[in-house]
Amino acid sequence: MSDNVLSGSIASQKKIPSLFDAISCPESSYCEPFSAPACPRPHWQSLLETLDKRGLATLASDHERAKRMRHEDGATINPFDDLTEQTTSWALDMIPLPVSAREWAGIEVAVKQRASLLEKILADTYGPQNLLKGGKIASELIFANPNFLHSCHGILPPGNRYLTFYAVDMYRSSDGRFQVLADHGANPAGLGYALENRIVMSRLFSELYQKTQIRRLAPFFQTFHNALIKRSSLRKDEAGIVLFTPGPDSPIYFEHALLSRYLGYPLVEGQDLTVRNGKVFLKKLAGLEPVEAIFRQVGDYECDPFALRRATSSGVAGLIQVCREQNIDVVNPLGSGFIETPALCTFLPDLCRELLGEELLLGNRQTWWGGHPEGLQYILNNMNILHISSAMNRHDRVDQTLDLHAALAASSAKYLASDPIEPAAIPAWNGKEVSASSAIIRIFACATENGFSVMPGGLAITASDTTILLTDCPEKQQSKDIWVLSDEPVEPFSMMAGLTDIPAFKRSSDLPNRVADNLLWLGRYLERAEGLIRLLRPVFKRLSGEEKPEEVPELQFLLNILQAKNMIPKLSATGISFSLEVHKHLQNTLYRKDRAESIVSILRRVQQTARNVRDRLSIDSIRVINRLENFREAAGVEPLDLLDQTLFTLSSFSGLAMESMTRGLGWNFMDMGRRIERALNQAMLIRVGLPLVCSDSHNTLQALLEVSDSLMTYRGRYRSSFQLAPVLDLLLADEGNPKSLAFQFNQLAGHVEQLPHQDERRFASKEERTVLEMQTAVRLFDLSAIQCGEEISGIESLTSFLTTIETQLKNFAEQVSAHFLTRVPSTPHYAIAGNHSL
Amino acid sequence: MIYRVTHRTGYKYSLPASLSQNELFLYPRDTPFQEVLERQLVITPTPQYLHSRTDYFGNIAHVFMVQHPHNELAIRVSSLVKTKRPLTPSPEATMPWEKVIEHLASHPEPQDLEAQQFVFASPLVSLSSEALKYASPSFPLGVPVLTGAADLVRRIYTEFAYDKSASNVETTVEHVLMSRKGVCQDFALVAISCLRSLGLAARYVSGYLETLPPPGKPKLVGSDASHAWISVFVPDFGWVDLDPTNNLMANETYITVAWGRDYGDVSPVKGVVMGGGIHELSVVVDVSAQREE
Repeated sequence: MSDNVLSGSIASQKKIPSLFDAISCPESSYCEPFSAPACPRPHWQSLLETLDKRGLATLASDHERAKRMRHEDGATINPFDDLTEQTTSWALDMIPLPVSAREWAGIEVAVKQRASLLEKILADTYGPQNLLKGGKIASELIFANPNFLHSCHGILPPGNRYLTFYAVDMYRSSDGRFQVLADHGANPAGLGYALENRIVMSRLFSELYQKTQIRRLAPFFQTFHNALIKRSSLRKDEAGIVLFTPGPDSPIYFEHALLSRYLGYPLVEGQDLTVRNGKVFLKKLAGLEPVEAIFRQVGDYECDPFALRRATSSGVAGLIQVCREQNIDVVNPLGSGFIETPALCTFLPDLCRELLGEELLLGNRQTWWGGHPEGLQYILNNMNILHISSAMNRHDRVDQTLDLHAALAASSAKYLASDPIEPAAIPAWNGKEVSASSAIIRIFACATENGFSVMPGGLAITASDTTILLTDCPEKQQSKDIWVLSDEPVEPFSMMAGLTDIPAFKRSSDLPNRVADNLLWLGRYLERAEGLIRLLRPVFKRLSGEEKPEEVPELQFLLNILQAKNMIPKLSATGISFSLEVHKHLQNTLYRKDRAESIVSILRRVQQTARNVRDRLSIDSIRVINRLENFREAAGVEPLDLLDQTLFTLSSFSGLAMESMTRGLGWNFMDMGRRIERALNQAMLIRVGLPLVCSDSHNTLQALLEVSDSLMTYRGRYRSSFQLAPVLDLLLADEGNPKSLAFQFNQLAGHVEQLPHQDERRFASKEERTVLEMQTAVRLFDLSAIQCGEEISGIESLTSFLTTIETQLKNFAEQVSAHFLTRVPSTPHYAIAGNHSL
Repeated sequence: MIYRVTHRTGYKYSLPASLSQNELFLYPRDTPFQEVLERQLVITPTPQYLHSRTDYFGNIAHVFMVQHPHNELAIRVSSLVKTKRPLTPSPEATMPWEKVIEHLASHPEPQDLEAQQFVFASPLVSLSSEALKYASPSFPLGVPVLTGAADLVRRIYTEFAYDKSASNVETTVEHVLMSRKGVCQDFALVAISCLRSLGLAARYVSGYLETLPPPGKPKLVGSDASHAWISVFVPDFGWVDLDPTNNLMANETYITVAWGRDYGDVSPVKGVVMGGGIHELSVVVDVSAQREE
């Protein structure tokens, strides 16, 4: 096809080159920015001017800035498929897609109509089925359709609303009209990404954004929330609403976490919820808390493994029963995935007349269903130009190498065919310059008391290749913010207002067991990483010094500790090869991903656990955590620098956590994890290090203090040379040293006291008693008996003391887990019908 | 006939189960040839939550939850059911099977539309060229639908071996069709897959069958079991029940509990427990004929 170049430049009359000169719109597609060559449409004008004024270089740096913002926000797609790979960032193209106020008014009316129509169809399908009985809808659409859930038939959703959140994908055809590509029912995706795009764009082009009258997105979220509250007659401040996600394994978990944070609905997974007495409850440390509404990000089939006989752990067993009892508002009601049935669109024009008495305003692309005799005939006659797809399941791929004639003859109702399409051409920023791309848009709507409300904005999905655009592969596509222009001044609404505070559980201060569990482990992994870095840093420091490594006395001490931790094997080499061997092993300790205890592996676990609870952490903390990704082997990177940087990052995180986390139970669990790990590390260091300490007391004691991060404290306190007794006192018993064992125990005791108690009596629980034992033991332990002389005395008693402490710490961790964090596995059971004696 | 049916299902857990959630299809439904006079459900320990409903197919389902720790769970349903010999059309007088397919597709009457839902694949019944191939010898062109179905059932009865060890809840129709062995529910699902692959309407029926002791021996209590068979749609007549396990047309000794697209729609007891460790299942069914009044 030859491109009739509609190249445009707003400034071309004045012969000033424009960034948009280069883009061309194919004749066969609608040209979004220009009505004729060099003639921008009015609603593009100021945007194009502003971008031109900014110039190539500034835009390039804007692009980088936007990329960094998204990376720091953790806006990724598909990040958890393979942890060893770099995550794919959510691709945002910073040139927005403006829509004029007039055009938007038309879209809004049409989307509302379509949503109302689809809701009426759902109400009939899960109710009287008059459309089926009257032949208005083909029986295959009910009987041979996996999107129709038998177990949901007859369920009356709250407020009689069968569709409460809807999204529609559209493209603009060459005549300028919008045509539908797909309807989204059950759990429409993309709302969170639209929000993220807007947040980034409003920061990136703050001036343009402020001076242009762009409709804000925030009021839509307000409407969504208010409608939900009203429908379920919930009290506004005490609503038990949760955001239900499949978990961090979902490729779009970022979106779930963002929506949870923005809407203030706690992010929960299937295992956080339980069904009792026909109602849903959230499992929290202090007990069960009722849930009245669920905003689900989980597909129909993954919602209730019990009723739908699925071997999935993501759902809530019994949820459908709760819906039957009308004890919950699920957005969207279960079974609403029915409207996603591709073949349904061929019935919509007639159904719109039947159900609404109106003509359908927003039609689909030209589509033929094999279940209609005339549709089948058309498909058979035009097979070579049509795209054949599955009629019942959008996600089913039709094998295009199949003998389609035979397949259609055998089961025509399974197939749908559509014309190839030419979506509208739009300018895109490819990182270096403006280029031509094509776009489809996803628009969102929610149910309110008065019909549907449409979000003024949405997600534009773009790709330079139409095939990629129309296949479901977000990692190859880009997205744009949609700017709906307004003729009137817009109310200033802060997008960030909802994001500043971490949503606390509204009704009480406690939190779900799963979150507590993850926070505890986050604390442990953070401390484990920090401890190991503190151990490795002095090693690298000494290796890079002037002295020959084998002549640095405390190096052997440090290497011994590494060996005792199984971080490096026993060393055999001497001389130059000694240094080489040490380096080789240390590299492994840093970078080997297949080793559970290498720095890179521990950092991975820090990131993973942090992501599991990302809705609990401040945005800044998440950004800091995301920086840990920079830890990798690279040419020219000195391990010592990398360790320093990483330690700095970890400290920033701890600092942020200290400053920004409310001192609730979440904090208690995270800090407990930290204290447990630090105490374990400290006890182990002394136990392993002590036998070596006396052989070269000065340097080794200094190294021990350095590794324990207590060197400054020692100097400040004793102002003397390094001696065994004061060093041990500082590291073990000094309750004022934040690195001492005694300090950790005091902190643990403080945390345990904060945990929910069933028994009012103090020290009634095992974990309380264990902490008390450790606290007392360290206070009573006689350090004066340990001396360095010709031979060390008292070492056995210290070793056995420390061994006991280590065991008690492990017991303590288990006791806390058993008491608060137990996850009982569930198993399905079936009685087999054939189990008889015939 | 009047039958007293008791169906007891018991679970013993090696560890206490803290939460048990179950769905039951154990209450016999009324049918044109069966009247349920009495039925009662007893669950021990007493569940904190119990709910009953009529499902999409008109069956009676119970959902219950036991929400405190328990080591045993017993479900007992006792019912009194009056059956009569079902009317069956003369097989050779039924519509040729190819005509039935057209009839279902055009579904002129409400009952034809209702029957059409049993033409398609369902979660546990796939349609396949293998099933079609197996069914074909029973359905030469122009053969009356019931004659063909009866022949298919006879062939399954003859060619498939009854083998309890060959079957569990995970067994697929394809597998049974290949291995040629299984139990009543497997044979029913194979027959359904064959009939639907042809384009006919067939549904899965769950119920009981009175078993008679060998001549001269007393009937042992509990020797019965839950049973499964199929039902084939015959236009202008209705549904006809056929039992591939015994090569019989259902008679008054068949007691229907529920029907659906496949076993998954009507499994007698399905559940999920939290904890419980290893569980031991026991099912005891007793079907005893009562003296007619």
